[in-house]
Amino acid sequence: MLFDYFGGQCPPYAMSDQHPEIDSFEVRVLRQDAPGERSRWERHRVTYERDMNVISALQKIAAQAETVDGQPVAPVCWDSNCLEEVCGACTMLINGRTRQACTALIDRLMEDCPGEIELRPMSKFPVIRDLVVDRTRLFRALTKVKAWVPVDGYLDRGQGPLRSMEEQQQSYPLSECMSCGCCLEACPQYTKIESTQDESESDEDFSARKSATYDSAFVGAHAISQAVLFNTNPIGKFIAGERLDALTGPGGIQMCGNAQNCVAVCPKEIPLTTSIARAGRSTTLHVLKKWFDR
Amino acid sequence: MTDTGPQGSFLVRHDFLIRRLHSLSGLVPVGAYMVVHLLVNSSILASTTIFQDNVDRIHSVGPVALQVIEWVFIFIPILFHAVFGVVIIAGGVPNTGEYRYGSNIRYTLQRATGIIAFFFIAWHLWHMHHYFAPLGGGNFQHQHASSSAAIALSSLPVKIGYAVGVLACCFHLANGLWTMGITWGVWTSPRAQKHATTVCAVFGIGLACLGLSAMSGFGDVDIKAAEEMERLRIQEKKYIEGKEERPTNSRRGVDRDSGG
Repeated sequence: MLFDYFGGQCPPYAMSDQHPEIDSFEVRVLRQDAPGERSRWERHRVTYERDMNVISALQKIAAQAETVDGQPVAPVCWDSNCLEEVCGACTMLINGRTRQACTALIDRLMEDCPGEIELRPMSKFPVIRDLVVDRTRLFRALTKVKAWVPVDGYLDRGQGPLRSMEEQQQSYPLSECMSCGCCLEACPQYTKIESTQDESESDEDFSARKSATYDSAFVGAHAISQAVLFNTNPIGKFIAGERLDALTGPGGIQMCGNAQNCVAVCPKEIPLTTSIARAGRSTTLHVLKKWFDR
Repeated sequence: MTDTGPQGSFLVRHDFLIRRLHSLSGLVPVGAYMVVHLLVNSSILASTTIFQDNVDRIHSVGPVALQVIEWVFIFIPILFHAVFGVVIIAGGVPNTGEYRYGSNIRYTLQRATGIIAFFFIAWHLWHMHHYFAPLGGGNFQHQHASSSAAIALSSLPVKIGYAVGVLACCFHLANGLWTMGITWGVWTSPRAQKHATTVCAVFGIGLACLGLSAMSGFGDVDIKAAEEMERLRIQEKKYIEGKEERPTNSRRGVDRDSGG
């Protein structure tokens, strides 16, 4: 079953038990002290242990707090949470590839590029510090397309409608999205937005301005796919029109350039381009319907 | 990225509609026109007479109606497609260096061929359309279709320019058709998209063959014979319209009627 899911191949982390014969490896980290500041490369040497992942290498780097030249430095910062590739928090560019640090195993990385690993923060989101980025825009897009089932209320509405196996199988992969942002990182149409707070501007005003800017920019593949997921949900589809309105508004699905990098890099192998095509069809029909209904 | 108000500008508010129109205009009328254009051009491979027949048929609607058709169905749609295409190109940052996937390379090529097509079509128009004859361009004369086109396309730099331009346009149309199928939700599943890739590739290669063979056809035209044929047709037409005496055999050189 699991092997079927990976298209008949073993998942990458089960591929081999080989361990490289090395004592240590070097990690190059692109560091940045604060938002808007200049970034710089820093080299760290990490003692090799079996079965490490990038997170455990980062833990060693932070504990050492010393570069290869023996310079004492502030511990490297990164985001991580679940450590089993379901939260998406530790997404970063590892050897130039957007992926989760927790499932990036050092043994496998050494096979690709012996003795060296390069870590960079995601390039499409503002850097907060080192490898930590501000993914507010990603979550803002989910709010924009109302990526939820509207069931707020006090009444017991009874059991939900029965769903066909076919529909379940179509929806389940979409529900696996962990909002990691890999699809956005790889998308040539999703360009970085970094706003800076004016001195006279209050935090509330800045936050509102940031949201407005995000709302007019491309929503991204993840949000389009979530809109499709909740528009096929029997209760979620009660507000299907509102989601399609969001997808046809500024920064909506029309900005997709069909480069299809999203589906190629998605760690959950979500059929994002299928979602985009389905949303493309329903948004067109929605707009035509609205025209004739007015 | 500039901050916009809750409504934003006209272009921002109607972005969806404009981009759907951009997508549609690429197929109809611009893409459809291109296919017809290449089909008509490739009739030169049959004979200069048949090519002249096709050109005459197009011009039979009369100069005023033809200009209306040109502006409404060709120039304005192409101009819209080109200008908004530049806006689309400006909105993306190609990353083929980092992500070397086939569809991503085609994304970048779609933009590159769009830019090539933009300049090629502008040059092609200057080079062939009678509007630009006073400026030294406008080499094509519809009553001398075969000979004037063959002469205009005779130099090697022009041939290379046309080959590059035609190939860019063919790729742009075929790949545009593929992306259009996703944009409008015709092929949604990965399987369907794979099949569509094959269909669009065959279409694009076929179109490129058509365009290039038409060019080789113009290269093989016997300009002297074509000019003679065209001269006779003009005379014949004037005779039919009653403006001139029936052309005498001595002026005709090769007699078309007796020659079969």
